[in-house]
Amino acid sequence: MYDAPLRKTDVETKNTKIVAQDVNVYYGDTHAIKDVSVDLLDKTVTAFIGPSGCGKSTFLRCLNRMNDTIDICRVEGKISLDGEDIYDKRVDPVQLRAKVGMVFQKPNPFPKSIYDNVAYGPKIHGLAKNKADLDDIVEKALRRGAIWDEVKDRLHAPGTGLSGGQQQRLCIARAVATEPEVLLMDEPCSALDPIATGQVEELIDELRGQYSVIIVTHSMQQAARVSQKTAFFHLGNLVEYGDTSQIFTNPEDSRTESYITGRIG
Amino acid sequence: MPLLWLILIVLGIAVAGFVLGRGRALKSAGGDARNLHSLPGYYGNNVAIKVIVPSMLVMLVWLVVQPLVIDGSVSATIPEGAVPENSSLGLVMSEVRRTAEGLENAVAAGGMSQALATDPDADFAEVSQQLQDAGQVVTSQLTQAVLRAAQDYREMHVFGRTIMSGVVLVLALAGLAWGLRESHKAFRARNTVEMSIRALLIAAASIAILTTIGIVLSLIFNTIEFFKLYPAADFFFGTTWSPSFSGRGGSSELGVLPLLWGTFYISIVALIVAVPIGLFSAIYLSEYASPRVRSVAKPMLEILAGIPTIVYGLFALLTVGPLLLSVFGKDGLGWMQAGTAVMTAGLVMGIMLIPFVSSLSDDIINAVPQSMRDGSYGLGATQSETIKQVILPAALPGIVGAILLAASRAIGETMIVVLGAGAAAKLSLNPFEAMTTVTAKIVSQLTGDADFSSPEALVAFALGMTLFVLTLGLNVLALYIVRKYREQYE
Repeated sequence: MYDAPLRKTDVETKNTKIVAQDVNVYYGDTHAIKDVSVDLLDKTVTAFIGPSGCGKSTFLRCLNRMNDTIDICRVEGKISLDGEDIYDKRVDPVQLRAKVGMVFQKPNPFPKSIYDNVAYGPKIHGLAKNKADLDDIVEKALRRGAIWDEVKDRLHAPGTGLSGGQQQRLCIARAVATEPEVLLMDEPCSALDPIATGQVEELIDELRGQYSVIIVTHSMQQAARVSQKTAFFHLGNLVEYGDTSQIFTNPEDSRTESYITGRIG
Repeated sequence: MPLLWLILIVLGIAVAGFVLGRGRALKSAGGDARNLHSLPGYYGNNVAIKVIVPSMLVMLVWLVVQPLVIDGSVSATIPEGAVPENSSLGLVMSEVRRTAEGLENAVAAGGMSQALATDPDADFAEVSQQLQDAGQVVTSQLTQAVLRAAQDYREMHVFGRTIMSGVVLVLALAGLAWGLRESHKAFRARNTVEMSIRALLIAAASIAILTTIGIVLSLIFNTIEFFKLYPAADFFFGTTWSPSFSGRGGSSELGVLPLLWGTFYISIVALIVAVPIGLFSAIYLSEYASPRVRSVAKPMLEILAGIPTIVYGLFALLTVGPLLLSVFGKDGLGWMQAGTAVMTAGLVMGIMLIPFVSSLSDDIINAVPQSMRDGSYGLGATQSETIKQVILPAALPGIVGAILLAASRAIGETMIVVLGAGAAAKLSLNPFEAMTTVTAKIVSQLTGDADFSSPEALVAFALGMTLFVLTLGLNVLALYIVRKYREQYE
C-alpha cells in the first residue's frame, strides 16, 4: 500500500477535511476497494482518476454513505469528516448527506419546476425562515450554479426542459443550496458536450473558494484543468495521491505513468 | 369427400411441394446451397404456401357461401301453403335442414337405402318412421313439401361439396406447379416467405379489430332498436327501474339512473378500499422491502388477481355480508337490513382490485429512474421524503392510469355485485342498503326466457352500450393521462 506524503505547501494553507483510514468496500463477494487511506483537503478540488471499474466512484460514494442504499454493499475502515467518524452508529446518514452534497454523472433534475428543484433541499432541512428567505436561497444557489441568468425568467418551468448542460448546472445549484461543506461530483461532465463541460469546469473552479470539491473523472485533461490534488486508483487500490502538477508531470508510480501516458486503462 | 380428407390431401400436397421445391432449387444451384439466393427451406416453404393458401381460402369462402346459396334456392321452392299458420319460413327451413342432415346420416349409417332417400315420391310417413328408427331427430311430422325440399337440399349440398373438393384440389395442384416453376436459384424465396408471414400477422390483427367492431355494431343496432320501442329520455333520466315481463312494453319503467348510481356507489367504495391499500403496498414492495420479502410478497399479492370473481362473490355473500350485518345490522347499530348491501359488494370488490392497483403502481414506481432517488438521497432526504416529493410525483400519471383502469374494472364487475349487493335498484345514499348495478341488471334481463323483441330484453343492449361508453371513456382518459405526462419525466 502506497501512502503518498502530502505536499508541504498545501498542508500549510489548507486544513484536512476528510480522513479515510484503511477503507475496504465489498459488493457481495467482490472486493471493490482495498485498504484505501487518504486525507482530503478543504477548499481544494481533488480529482479521482483511474480506469473504469477501479473503484473511484465507489470510494466517492463512501464519503457520503450513498452506498448504504445498496443492499449488498459493505464498508469497513474509518472515514471521518472534521474528525467525526461518519460510519459511527450515532451518525444520521441523512444529516451527513446534507453536509456532503453530491452531483451525479447524468443530470437528474426532479420532475418539478426549476425553483422547486433548488428549493427541495432547503425545504426538507428547514433552512428557510419564510418564502422570501427561500427565494433568496434559491437565487443565491442558482447564481452560484452559474445558471441564474438563463433561468431567472422561467423559474417555474420544469427543470427537465433544460438542455443537458443547464440541467447539470441546475443539479449543482441544487446541491449547493443545502449549504454543504463538501461537494462530491461523480463524472459530472461525461454526459455533456465540450461547451457545457467548459461551463461546469469554470463553475467547479469557483466553488473551490467555499467547498471541498471531490470530482471523479475519466478525462485526464479535465483532472489537470480543474484539480489541485489528484488521486489515481487502479484495481481498487489507491496507487498514488499528490499534487496534480506532480502526478501529471512526474508520477512516482509506474502504473500512474502508464495510465497518464495512455499505455493502460 | 369428407372435409377432413380434403384438408389432409391438401396438406399432403404441400409437404410434397416443400420437398420437391427444395430439391428443385438445390438442383438448379448444382447441389450447393451457397449458390442459392435463399436457404433451401425457403424454396420449400414458398411452394407449400402457394399450395395451401389459395386452396384453403377458397375452401373457407365456399363453406360459408354454399349454405347461404342453397338456403336461398331451396326456400324459393317451398310453396306458400307449406308454411303452417303459426310458423314462419325460417322455421320451415330449419326443419328442412334437419331432415336433410337426418337423411344423410341415416344413409351413411345404413338405416335407409339411398334409393328411398332420394326418391322424390317416397312416402313421407315411411321416411320419417325410418329416420326415427335410425335414431335421427325428427321433431314434427314430415310433410311432402318439407321432404322434397330436404331431398333437394341434400342433393345440392352433396353436389356443391363435390365441386368444392374438385376446385380446391385443382387450386392446390396449380399452386404446386406455380411454386415449383419458381424454384430456381435466382428466385427470392426468402422475401416471399417474409411477405406471407407479414400477411398472416396482419390477418390476425385485423380479426381482433374486426371482432371488436362487430361487437360494437351489434350493440349499437340493438340499442337503436331499443330506443325505437322506449323513449331515450325516459331511459337516461328515469329514476325508476321496474321492468315487467308481462310482455306489454308500456308497463315497464326502465330508467338507468338508479343502476348508474348503484354502479358508481359500489365502485367508489371499492376504490376507497383498493387505492390506499394497493398504493401503500406497492410503495412498500418497491421501495422498502428487501428482495427476499419482495420475491415472496409480490406473487402472493398477485394470487388475489387470479381468484375467480365468483369466489369473491361467495366470500361477499357468506362471510363479509354476515360479518357486516352483525356489526351494523339489527343486533348492532341497526343501519343494515340484510347482508347484501353496497358496503358488502364494495369492500369485496376493493379487495379484488388491490392487486391491480398495487401491481401496476409497483411497476410504475420501479420505472422511476434510480438517478431520481440518488439525487434526493444525495441532498439528505429521508426515504419517505424522497417517495412523497420525488417518486410519487414522477410516477403519478402512471398511478392515475392504474387507478382509472381499476375503476373501469370495478364498473364492469358483475358476479360480486350479483351475489353481494342485492337486486333492488334504488337511489339511496345509505351504503348499507341493497343496490344493484348496470351489469347485474344486464344479467337479470337476459337470463331466463327472453323475448328479443321486447324492450325489457333489448334494454340490456342499451345498458351494455352505456357501460361500454363509460369504461371506454375511462380507459381513453387513463391512456391520455399516462401518455401526456410520460415523456416529461424521462
